[in-house]
Amino acid sequence: MAQAAPVIQPDLELSYEMPEQVTLLSDAWRRLKRNRLALVGAVIIGLLFVTALISIVWTPYPTWLQAVGPTYQPPSAAHPLGLDQAGRDILSRIMGGALITVQVGVGSAIIVSLIGIPLGLLAGFYRGKVDTVISFFINIWYGIPDLLVALILVFVLSDALHLIPRGVLVIVIAFSLTRWMDVARLVRGQALALREREFVEAARMSGARDFALLARHILPNALGPIIVQATFAIPAAVLFEAFLSFLGLGLPSPTPSWGAMAADGYHGMDFAPHIVLAPTIALSLTLMAFNWVGDGLRDAFDPRMRR
Amino acid sequence: MRGTLLYIGQRLVLIAVTTVLVSSIVFLLLHQIPGNAFLNETRQTPQALAAELHRYGLDLPLQNQYVNWVQGVLHGNLGESLVNRQVKITPLLVRETSVSATVGFFALLVTVGLGLILGVLAALRQNTWVDYLASSTAVVGYSIPSFVIAIFGLLVFGHYLYLWTQGTFYYVPGWGKLEQIPVPALALGLPYASYVARLTRASMLETIRTDYVRTAWAKGLKARVVVVRHALRNALIPVVTILGPLITGIITGSVVIENIFGIPGLGKEFVTSILARDYNIVIGVFTFYAALVGLANLTVDVIYPILDPRIRY
Repeated sequence: MAQAAPVIQPDLELSYEMPEQVTLLSDAWRRLKRNRLALVGAVIIGLLFVTALISIVWTPYPTWLQAVGPTYQPPSAAHPLGLDQAGRDILSRIMGGALITVQVGVGSAIIVSLIGIPLGLLAGFYRGKVDTVISFFINIWYGIPDLLVALILVFVLSDALHLIPRGVLVIVIAFSLTRWMDVARLVRGQALALREREFVEAARMSGARDFALLARHILPNALGPIIVQATFAIPAAVLFEAFLSFLGLGLPSPTPSWGAMAADGYHGMDFAPHIVLAPTIALSLTLMAFNWVGDGLRDAFDPRMRR
Repeated sequence: MRGTLLYIGQRLVLIAVTTVLVSSIVFLLLHQIPGNAFLNETRQTPQALAAELHRYGLDLPLQNQYVNWVQGVLHGNLGESLVNRQVKITPLLVRETSVSATVGFFALLVTVGLGLILGVLAALRQNTWVDYLASSTAVVGYSIPSFVIAIFGLLVFGHYLYLWTQGTFYYVPGWGKLEQIPVPALALGLPYASYVARLTRASMLETIRTDYVRTAWAKGLKARVVVVRHALRNALIPVVTILGPLITGIITGSVVIENIFGIPGLGKEFVTSILARDYNIVIGVFTFYAALVGLANLTVDVIYPILDPRIRY
């Protein structure tokens, strides 16, 4: 009778004290899942990557093979997207173009980060003269018409000096050399803010060296915005490649670049619009998907931006 | 006023420095290239080649060439075309800049005009079909590159319009007539218009909920006055901040647009001279572009405090 019912209150209280533990990534993922536009974008990007992977081992026809049928043939059962002005199978070339797009986009995002993150960390962490010099270069670089310098870089590095063959690599390098500032400026700002935070101060007090502070405390905490910025570098790089190839200054002729394919079809547009439609739609969808995912990631990583 | 003038003066000096720096990089890059524009000329004796090189001062050591070039730039003289003899670059580029600037101006008009209208409409009619239509147009339009819009513009206004109107009314690529401006301007301005629309909508949504806008309504002001003078003017501030990058984007975008529509501006010259290896012109175009980007950014910074009196130099 005197036996009291067991008290289960503390358990309840405990759950108030300790909110469910979520890491940066899992929290961001949860928010990202709620963004429908970003999910659609992610599906499109998934398709792009799968197509790119498949195209490495198999395309319906070789992307360079001419005259697999009559030139300018509109879409048919045998060739779902039709044939271009040289009688090449457009579906195969779109698939090959997906691979190039992925290489250019991902490659540029990586190299832009590799240039921008260290520079930004140095400027933001050491401040003073280091910051003055790096910020000076960032500001100068913002003043130049980036795409045009990149265009000249591609031309000089590959056509004129023959340092790097005209291909994906030179485009990625030229793009990254002219567009590293966005990441650098962002990381600089993050480092400036984070270096004053208590946990960095605590780590410094416990004897951590500068490198450890940067690599283990500041960089991981700036990762969210960096991922967002790198994601936005992908569509910019893809657009740059298409822009160059469309002008005939990008990837050399048989390469199935979407920009070059659009330029091919552009002349026969009046009677065979399917040639120009396929690559431009593929390109626009890809850019859209990356922009949507980028927007979604930005909202996901930055709870203040939530609508 | 004096502060503003001083600020503008400082900025102009900075622009001049940046322009010379940027084109110096291009100058040095292009002078690393072996060979020259004369190599493709057939039946050329070594003496003739040497005479040509001497004529353009290309036989001098690089540092002397560079000093000559910088002196030339500071005097507004960019030298002579390497391919078309006797053609002075500066007047040529000034002429082409006016063409590019015309296209760019109308593109900017499309960008800002359309962007603002769409953005304001979407914000005022939030969560109605107007908003959804405007917002989804913006979210799609931003990702469609201008050269893709240009291709579709050519197809629709050049080809299909010709068919529909039986050849009485359609767009002919080229330059010189007033009716040849809208299609390129639209192609160039549309992607950025969607960006402006998105930005305007977001900042408009914020301002129409502020107290001073509510006060303006409560005072019984006309809707037009409240929206334009109270809400829009404040909502414009974030839009003006992106005008700088926007103008840079329009300038770079014009390269491909001018080539598609056959507009004889700086962008067309740029590509033509790269392919013809007329390096003097390439460097010249670059100098112009760098100056143009700098001046555009300066203009934006000068407009800024007019819209937002809180900002002073």
